[in-house]
This record gives sequence, C-alpha cells and structure tokens, in this order.
Amino acid sequence: MAAKLTIIGSGPGGYVAAIRAAQQGTQVTIIEDDEVGGTCLNRGCIPTKTLIASAEALESTRRAADFGIEIPGEVGYNHAKILDRKNKVVETQVKGIRSLFRSWDIRLIEGRGVLHSAEAVRIVQKDGTTLDVKSDRVIIATGSRPARLPLFPFDGETVITSNEAVQLTSIPKSICIVGAGVIGCEFAFIYRTLGSDVTMVEMLPRVLSTEDEEMSGLIAREMKKAKIKIHAGVKIEAVEKTSDGIVRSRLSDGKEVSSEMVLVSIGRAMNTEEIGLEGAGVKKGKRGEIAVNEKMETSVPGIYAIGDVTGTVMLAHVASHQGLVAVENALGGDAAMDYAVIPSGIFTMPEVGSVGLREHEAVEKGIAVNVGRFPFRGLAKAHAMGSITGMAKVISDHTTDKVLGVHICGPHATDLVHEGALAISTGTTARELGRMIHAHPTLAEAVMEAAEDTHGMAIYVPRPSS
Amino acid sequence: MNPDDIKYHRDHSWVRVEGKKATIGITDYAQQQLGDIVYVDLPEVETEADADSELSEIESTKATSPILSPVSGVVGEVNEDLADSPEIINEDPYGNGWLMVLDMSDPSELNDLMSKSEYEAYLKEVEEK
Ligand SMILES: Cc1cc2nc3c(=O)[nH]c(=O)nc-3n(C[C@H](O)[C@H](O)[C@H](O)COP(=O)(O)OP(=O)(O)OC[C@H]3O[C@@H](n4cnc5c(N)ncnc54)[C@H](O)[C@@H]3O)c2cc1C
Repeated sequence: MAAKLTIIGSGPGGYVAAIRAAQQGTQVTIIEDDEVGGTCLNRGCIPTKTLIASAEALESTRRAADFGIEIPGEVGYNHAKILDRKNKVVETQVKGIRSLFRSWDIRLIEGRGVLHSAEAVRIVQKDGTTLDVKSDRVIIATGSRPARLPLFPFDGETVITSNEAVQLTSIPKSICIVGAGVIGCEFAFIYRTLGSDVTMVEMLPRVLSTEDEEMSGLIAREMKKAKIKIHAGVKIEAVEKTSDGIVRSRLSDGKEVSSEMVLVSIGRAMNTEEIGLEGAGVKKGKRGEIAVNEKMETSVPGIYAIGDVTGTVMLAHVASHQGLVAVENALGGDAAMDYAVIPSGIFTMPEVGSVGLREHEAVEKGIAVNVGRFPFRGLAKAHAMGSITGMAKVISDHTTDKVLGVHICGPHATDLVHEGALAISTGTTARELGRMIHAHPTLAEAVMEAAEDTHGMAIYVPRPSS
Repeated sequence: MNPDDIKYHRDHSWVRVEGKKATIGITDYAQQQLGDIVYVDLPEVETEADADSELSEIESTKATSPILSPVSGVVGEVNEDLADSPEIINEDPYGNGWLMVLDMSDPSELNDLMSKSEYEAYLKEVEEK
C-alpha cells in the first residue's frame, strides 16, 4: 500500500483520483498549473452545458406562446449576464473541488509539475521557485488541449478554439465551425440560438460521425430546421483573414464560407510535452499519447496515467473512472479498466445519449441484431412537454436477445441513456427491458417501447401495413 | 374539395401539370391523416427524383412520413415559405401548401396516376380496409 501519492493535473481524472486515494488514508499531493477542475470544469463540459442551459431557456421562452404563456414585448438576452452566470457556475464547482481537497487533507500545489522518476516530481511554482515532492507513486493526469493546425491563423479573436468560445464577450453575426464532432455541434446550437448565422464544415460525410447513423441524421435534420448550414465531406483548404474583418474559408469543393469568426474544433492534442516523460522513461504510443495498459500503468512501474492524456476515450467520466482504477492499483489492488459500457452525452438541441453498439458497427462486425425504434412523438409525455422530436433505438443480439446498444436523440436523452447502460452491463435482454414496468407518463417509456419494438411489440405503433 | 385539374398518386401526393413542369403537393386526405405538420424536409433544387422514390419527408405531431414522387424529374423549385410556416400545408394543401416543382423527364408517367374520381374511389377503399 502506497503511503504517498503525487498527481499531476487536477481535471476530472486527477481530482477524482486524489479524493479516492485520500479516502483510503493516502497522503496525496496534487499539482495544478492552471485552475482546479481542468478542462472539464473551466473550459469544457460545465461551461458549455451552462451556456446551453441559457440557450434552451431562450428557446423555450421564444416558444412560450405555444404553451399559452403571454410575454409582452420581444424576448431577448443579455450576453454579459449569460457569461456571468456561466462564470458563477464554474466558480462554484471549482470552489467545491478545492474544499473537498481541504476536507480530505489533500495538498494542492499550484505550479507546473515535471516528472523525475516514480518517486519524485519537481514543481515550478507560480512564483518561479521550485519544489521537489517525493512519493511512492505518481499519476499523470495532464489532459489535453485543442488541436491546432498551421492552416488556421489562430488569433483568439476571429479564429478561435473552444477555449475562447466559452469566453466570448459578444456573439458573432456569423460563425464558421470547422469540425462537426461533439464540441462543434454543441457550439453550433448555442450560437444559432443566440442569433448567429452558423455554417459547419466537416471532413467526414456526416455530422457526429462516431454516433449511430440514425442519430447523426436526426441531428442533421434539426440543424437544417434551425437553419444551421452543413458542408459535409469537404475539407478546408485555406483560411484567410481579410481587412474588412471577415474570415474567408475556402473549401475543397470550390465553395467559400465568409464569416465574422471561425471556430476550429477538429480534435484534441494531448499534454505530454515538457512533463519529463523522456527522462523518466515513460513510453508514448503511436498517436503521441501516454501508453497505458488496462490497469492504467505506464511503461515505468509506479507511474500511472489517466484521462485525455492516454488518448483512450476523451470523456470526463472515463478520465474519472480511470482515476479510480489507477488508485486502486497504486494502493496494491488489482483493478482493470473496462471500456465496454461507456454512456456518452451530446448536448445538442435536442440531446443525444448513446451507449454500446451502433447499428453500422453491428453490420461491420457481422453481428446479427434486432433493432427497435420508438419516436418521441408517440409519447403523451413528449407532447405534454412540447418536445416530440427524436427517437429511442434499442439494438439487441438476434440470438441471445441481450441488449447491445441504446441510442437516444430527444429530450433528456443524456439522462435516459443510463437505463440502456445498466441493461447492457447486466446482460439484460430486450424482452426484460421492455417488460419492466416504466412509469407513465414519462420519457423513459420510449426506451421500453423501443425494446418491445425489437420484437415488433411496441404498443403505441400502428399495425404494419401488409 | 379535391380539385379535378390535378392527378393523384396512390401514396397521397398530387401533381398539377403546366407544360413539362409538375407542381407537387400532398392531398387533403394526407394532410388530415398527418395532423399538424411541423416540418417539411425539402430536397435541394436540381435533385433528381424517380417516380415512386422518396422526395421529401414530412414531420407532423403524429408521425414522420416520406413523400413519394408521383413522377420522375428534376427539382426546379421548392416552396420556401414552408420552412417557417409548414402549417400552410394543413391550411391549403392544393394551393399555397405546394411542396415543389419538378421538371418532368417522362410525362407519359402521368397516365399511371389517378383522376379525382378515381382517387376518391380509392380513398373509400382505403378507408373501408
Ligand atoms: C468544449 C468541451 C466540452 C466538453 N464536454 C464534455 C462533456 O459534456 N462530457 C464529457 O464527458 N467530456 C466533455 N469534454 C471532455 C472533457 O473535458 C475531458 O475529457 C476531461 O476534461 C479530461 O479530463 P483529464 O483529467 O484527463 O484532463 P483535463 O481536464 O484536461 O485536466 C488536466 C489538467 O492538468 C493540468 N496540467 C497539465 N499539465 C500540467 C503540469 N505539467 N503540471 C500541472 N498541471 C498540469 C491542466 O492545467 C489541467 O487543469 C469536453 C471538452 C471540451 C473541450
């Protein structure tokens, strides 16, 4: 059992690891170069979700008349106040983590940590002084940052990354978003709702290309409804800032997009530079990630790595879970990371929640499956809420009937998907999922109905025409 | 209510022909079956369509339904007003609620479509089933 643990980086990987280790009596030192909470709390999950909450509030206020609510005058927003609210939410969360650290006697050192060996980390503190911390085990949780390509003339004002996008003091009249992955699509809906003219450019043939194709299709449809323009299957060839303050992006199909701002969301670069990996002998993988095994061990005994820097699945909850696994192993246990059931949420309007096998993956892997679908517009609750767009989709094994994938696009999809995660992780069959009593009227009935539909037995679906 | 200057497709779309141009919409029966229409996914101009292929999709509060093209041709124009006011289809399916204009590639396909009286007889059959 390790008595002393040092963690470099305090994102959702590092801070969760720190707390879990301290709960078990370990003396924990955590080093943070920037702000506690990492990307997730300061520049990622939480700021974006807070901005989306404002966008959604605006959208429902605009639709108030549909609900019989009369609002005199025009509905507007104050961007400075939206930003204030976001900053307050972030601040509260950051303070919360700091106070958890204090309550568990976790030593937080603010500065830049550089690995010397499994036993020593050198810290260049904010005031320039250095400090060496000795410990029995080290966990690297340095995270990631927006990937930048020389093609884009970044200036933080007109050509930006998500780091600036969560801080914008005003909303551009027009914005071109390069990369229609999770981050790009979330910002597209935020800016569009706040009044920007949004154009998306995606190299791959569809938006949200890692999702089930039907979910991508539903989101593309919602973008079309919201008048978000999509150029898919094309590359950006050149980006040029003009003197009139307009940025011109030239696309590989010959078209051109002119916008006030360009947001580049094309992926994440891992923070592996100048943290002493080479000196300590920690090996990197092909994509520049810190190579780890399923126990989160690096090539050097006693040194673990977790989170985005391992380049596995770049999600906050994966980073946190890897943190738990690393701590268990660092303290002499024997835990392994299992990536089979990872629910993920995309906070578009509406949301997408997914877990497990996608339908196209079943085809690629030659797995015989049953697919059940149920549209939210078939649910009384969705009508009551005025949110009828989207569907739940259940994919089950044709032979064993076990649930293999659940994909939901629609209201509260990111919460609803967890029923699917539980079903998959417990080996529940589609029949069992469909026969479990679901409360009426709830959105969760869509999951029940989609499960029943894998056997053609959904109740709120008319008899198929012969 | 159903006009007699148009031709009807068994999947409840209609065509009004002027020369080689075919204006396309959905019938009053289709509009009633769908209920309140909330969105029409119209194709882009210059999209090619074959007779009986999916031209568009209509979302209503009840269902999402494909609209089959009654004839073959190339989309020459779409009804832009539907983007913001899809309910026009419910209000005026044979007039302002038109969906698009196709430049027909094979006008002889019109012979496969129904007249008003044939369509109404067909609707009776559908209803009685
Ligand atoms: C816009 C956006 C939205 C996102 N939304 C979601 C979402 O909704 N859900 C989700 O699951 N994920 C989301 N993510 C991804 C999520 O933020 C990351 O997966 C998660 O933050 C990874 O956690 P981590 O602990 O590995 O690294 P990070 O959160 O990146 O934290 C690493 C920390 O280490 C510090 N650090 C780096 N080097 C050093 C050093 N040498 N010394 C000291 N400190 C150092 C950094 O300052 C940073 O604070 C989003 C990301 C972005 C950019």
